Amino acid sequence: MTSAAGQPALTTTDSATRLVGMSQVLERPRTSAEVALPIVVEFRKVTKTYGLGGPNPYTAIKDVTFVVEDVPNKGEFVCVLGPSGCGKSTILRLIAGLAPQHPPTSGAVLVQGAPVAAPGADRGMVFQDYTSFDHRTVLDNVTFGLECQGVPRRQRHDLGRWWIRRVGLREADESKYPHQLSGGMRQRVAIARTLILRPRIILMDEPFGALDPQTRMHMQDLLIALWREVQATVFFVTHSIEEAVFLGDRAYVMSNSPGTILREMVIEPADRPAKEMRREARFQETVGYLRDLISELEEGQ
Amino acid sequence: MEQKPPNQTLGRTGLTGSPEGIGGTAPRFARRFFVLRGDVPRWQAVLVGALCIAICFGFWWIVTAGQPENRFLGPTVLPSPSETFATFPTLWFDRALTRNTLVTLKRVALGFALAAVVGVPIGVICGCFRRVAAFFAPLTIVGRNIPVAALIPLTFSLFGIGEIQKIMFIFIACVAFVISDTAGAIADIGTQYLDTALTLGARPRQIILKVLVPLALPSVFNSLRVLFGLAFGYIMLAELVKFGGEAGGLGDIIITSQRRGQREHILLVLMIIPMVALALDRLLFTLQRSLFPHRYGGAGLLWRLVCAGLHAWESLKLLFWRHGAAAPVAVNSGDASRPSA
Repeated sequence: MTSAAGQPALTTTDSATRLVGMSQVLERPRTSAEVALPIVVEFRKVTKTYGLGGPNPYTAIKDVTFVVEDVPNKGEFVCVLGPSGCGKSTILRLIAGLAPQHPPTSGAVLVQGAPVAAPGADRGMVFQDYTSFDHRTVLDNVTFGLECQGVPRRQRHDLGRWWIRRVGLREADESKYPHQLSGGMRQRVAIARTLILRPRIILMDEPFGALDPQTRMHMQDLLIALWREVQATVFFVTHSIEEAVFLGDRAYVMSNSPGTILREMVIEPADRPAKEMRREARFQETVGYLRDLISELEEGQ
Repeated sequence: MEQKPPNQTLGRTGLTGSPEGIGGTAPRFARRFFVLRGDVPRWQAVLVGALCIAICFGFWWIVTAGQPENRFLGPTVLPSPSETFATFPTLWFDRALTRNTLVTLKRVALGFALAAVVGVPIGVICGCFRRVAAFFAPLTIVGRNIPVAALIPLTFSLFGIGEIQKIMFIFIACVAFVISDTAGAIADIGTQYLDTALTLGARPRQIILKVLVPLALPSVFNSLRVLFGLAFGYIMLAELVKFGGEAGGLGDIIITSQRRGQREHILLVLMIIPMVALALDRLLFTLQRSLFPHRYGGAGLLWRLVCAGLHAWESLKLLFWRHGAAAPVAVNSGDASRPSA
């Protein structure tokens, strides 16, 4: 129940824990009784079943319970890992409040103590699909949220230009349309568009899934740098174990059919570039452990 | 001839020995002509199209060649090309071709504009709200499936025999298609755009006006352009069926020429109609390109004009009725400029 100030807590709990490489594995996710800090997101026995009462109901996630603390002046970087089809995206979309995952069939999804009612700009989301609005220039895409809030044009454009540069796009790019951009550039736009609203929670659903490995690494470093600045809690769904171990302060490993959280892991923060960190033996040990765990899960179904 | 590596594939090297050999050139021509989904230079496309027209005219010329009594088809059945084109001046001057074309165009344009003005907003609402779509479904299903020609007698009794009847006929014939095409275009916009807008804090009205409608517009405009061609076909129907005197329009020229036995004029009008339709289609397509640079590339002058108009509107709105949302956000954005420190 202790946590060093400002650090993601390597909490000792009642459940068995052990060290694997640069991570600490908890045999089950913590509950609200086991954390000290205020809670930003909490799932209480959340189940989502589609087609309930129909001929073939499908349960995406079952009795998912976890808590994410509100680490002061930092926010945690939480990765959600698991075999495909285990309901990783369902968890993200439940936090966002997006249909058809929202509302859950049973259980409660709480954000800062209140049940999620509808989507909002306080929970920004970056999708795997490129969802830039085709008819808007980069600048107008980035400032879309501010425009919806009624921020005057000059003000929002100034802010938009700052963010365009911040995510590593050139000034010449601001008047381009999305179809003129590469995949990596489009995801930069998506990140800028989300961060400009300074959301309390950032939800990322495999945002780098469609990028080539080199671009992906650059984007990971960029994301870590930006996240330090905006101090939000990030939920990051990914297929890539390396990505999760590098980016995450904490990871949830899910099993599938129906999806449940199997392990919670506390991982060393990404305080050095992706290229360096990946070479360390302790990093590889954690990756290996996770790889075995997930392939075991995939074979088990 | 052996110095042409681009055309030379490995398997064909044996054939290059005699470049003039018939066995070599025929398949090569065929291979170059029939490239699977290959690009065609513009001049070639025009040339090939012109060839088709030339063949049609050649066929027409052959079946009507010679003295009237020696022809395959007598002059009472089909006049020859030269006889037909010789009557062009009388069509132009005596029958007021330009004025009649404009009369027809005006009818189509008015009827179709009415259909678009009514149909597009209804279609947008149908595309956004499934319940509204269910409400309009019976009307659009009937409207799309009814044989429009059968509506002509009804339009006479409802709207009289004047211009209103023809305009309303075009409206009735097109509006259901406009509604369902627009609704389809809106419904086709991927859910991911909706989700993105929602997580960026957009309200339903903003999502409709700032996301769904602009994203669907290129496809809406495209189907309007295609439907305009359809409307141009329907107006002939409305003009061919008439009561009494000179109603004017290209259809009127055709029906009057038929009564007077001037087949030449009918043929000329039949050639003019597609040309007018093509010209209109190209004009609309140019507008379309200029409106949607994000879809078709190019400078997009019209789109910039629209954007400038929207910006001006936004500034005006802020000037005149500063609505409540602007004030608190100004504080927020001041806070957001923090990272520059």
